[in-house]
Amino acid sequence: MKQARDSAPAERALFYTPESVAIDYERDLGDPGSYPHTRGTRPPNTRRETEGHDFLVRELSGEGPPSRSNEQFHYLLEHGATGLDVIGDTPTQCFMDPDHPYAQHAVGNQGVSICRGSDFVALYEGIPLDRVSCDHSLPGGFAAAGLFLAAETHGHLPELLRGSAILPPLFAEDTGYSSNLPIELHMRLATDSIEFCSERMPKFHAFVEDTYYISDGSVGIVDEMALGFVELREVVRRLVARGLDVDLFAPRIALLVNCRMDFFAEIAKIRASRRIYARMMRDEFGAKDPRSLAINVAAHTSGATMTSRQIGNNIARGAIQSVALYLAGVRAMEISAFDEAIRTPSREAHIVGLGTQHVVQLESGIADVSDPLGGSWYVESLTDEIETKITDRIAEIEALGDVVELAENGYFRAIFTEAMVDRSREVVDGTRPVVGVNINEIPPERDTLLRDLLENRIAPCYDRIEEIAAWRASRDMGPVVTALDNLERLCRDGSNIMPGIVEAMRSEASMGESIGVLRECYGRPYDPMGCVERPR
Amino acid sequence: MTPTTRLRVLITVLGLDQHEAGALAVSRLLRDGGAEVIYAGRFQLPETIATTAIDEDVDVVGISAHSWEVLHYAEELALRLGQADPPIPIVVGGSVITAADQVEILSKGIDATVLPTAPEEEIIATFYRLAEARRPRL
Repeated sequence: MKQARDSAPAERALFYTPESVAIDYERDLGDPGSYPHTRGTRPPNTRRETEGHDFLVRELSGEGPPSRSNEQFHYLLEHGATGLDVIGDTPTQCFMDPDHPYAQHAVGNQGVSICRGSDFVALYEGIPLDRVSCDHSLPGGFAAAGLFLAAETHGHLPELLRGSAILPPLFAEDTGYSSNLPIELHMRLATDSIEFCSERMPKFHAFVEDTYYISDGSVGIVDEMALGFVELREVVRRLVARGLDVDLFAPRIALLVNCRMDFFAEIAKIRASRRIYARMMRDEFGAKDPRSLAINVAAHTSGATMTSRQIGNNIARGAIQSVALYLAGVRAMEISAFDEAIRTPSREAHIVGLGTQHVVQLESGIADVSDPLGGSWYVESLTDEIETKITDRIAEIEALGDVVELAENGYFRAIFTEAMVDRSREVVDGTRPVVGVNINEIPPERDTLLRDLLENRIAPCYDRIEEIAAWRASRDMGPVVTALDNLERLCRDGSNIMPGIVEAMRSEASMGESIGVLRECYGRPYDPMGCVERPR
Repeated sequence: MTPTTRLRVLITVLGLDQHEAGALAVSRLLRDGGAEVIYAGRFQLPETIATTAIDEDVDVVGISAHSWEVLHYAEELALRLGQADPPIPIVVGGSVITAADQVEILSKGIDATVLPTAPEEEIIATFYRLAEARRPRL
């Protein structure tokens, strides 16, 4: 059952022929930039030396306090990055302030520590926000609010802001960073921020459906996309139910997908996903604006395919994944750093990640022609097969009932945990070949290449904890309490909470305080750990 | 509590470490090997782990780590579980554990570590070896 549901290499033919596919070119493919966007969402522009196809080259980054991450951003931009992609440390991702007792040894060492409006201002100091695309793996709602505030402070018009924010409302508690939020609150943060950005930051992709979080380390490509579409469809339904015109927000929905090692299946998955989206938005949600039918796909290569043994091999894996993504026509990518399996990415690994993208893009000619695999009997057949499997799976899940209830009741968590165990088992029993781990291994004493990087750790930022504790104690509490009360009122009366979040940041309320108030509105304790109390 | 001769273990992750894949895989491995596994999941500090381990009278506590937090919590964890009667041994394993970490973690009172390269047999044997030292009838 599980095998049939996913796309398994063992089930594929040994070779493909014209009889393997039944393609109607206009109906199923179209030129790049044309409906149904199987071959890409934009018509190729004039080929420009060194620029490929307006491709965003970036590396996932962020460490320490905002000022250190800001230095990192400038360093990456100076070394050829054309966009930024920031991730918070674990407390930040959990909507937890750095001075929370549970956060003490996790501040700033696996991402940047962010908990207040001025942190966003410091994070983007000197960055040309009107020109550089800034992508955020930061808490839903707060990322967009923080960028809005930073732009305002640095004198950039919000209308010009580019970039994106990841919103994983349905699965955040199960596959990403659990923050002890009810799924309904995750949904509220997602839908309110999309509505807010549609009006105030219209160039910003306020809703990145992130199937990387859903899939890495667990489910296969069919469930990756099926679950992603289930989440995306629920968000779209809710926005339409509010009375929003689908064409107001749909042009700024994007996909961030995973890319593992099943090379052609990953390419077919991305082509199939663009087609599914185009047909779904036109036929089911009634979108009319051509931009609403064309979803930009970005990708992050799989951290779970990086191995802690023979880590030099991870550079090869990143290059192969990068080739797949260029062939699939993604608009932006990050390559998981080769040291991802054993540490927060080092500066050296970041540079190798950027260099890999540059070598593939600029030296190989791979980006010169759009969708070069279009028309391949194998790739078209695989695209059709994966499309059918994804749409069948979406229908199967949605037939079970309300998807938010399914999430609250642990239905999806069961899928993820079973898949995590299965994947681990496949590596142990050799079903899934992993070089250096279950085949062609070398003894540990000879596995020395690049290993010296592993002991070079990023220490927790205890200074940051002290700084935030001192800041908290020194604030004028009047505006903080007023802003939090206002946020509560907006939440309880059904208004959009985003202006309240921005105002709370301006008034020096912390993210932990704001989310605590929102938790209370949904019947949860202010601090699920019972360590801190709401300011009154 | 009904006396049992089966291996009884508590598996968990520490602090804000959100990576459960290793913890779930080891839980399945031990269950398949006949052990009783209590899975405490995420958001556990040394204090909450010690309370659960003592309440559940487990033979061994297993910590799966994909975060450097483990290096900072190791000493407190060893101290708290060392106060159980008899002391409850701890094994730490996970993708981030290097050879240097192994030395550091053991010096802080953790009873055993398993590196990311450890085969399944070594993981199971480590749990049984520690359990037998605490509960010889196993």
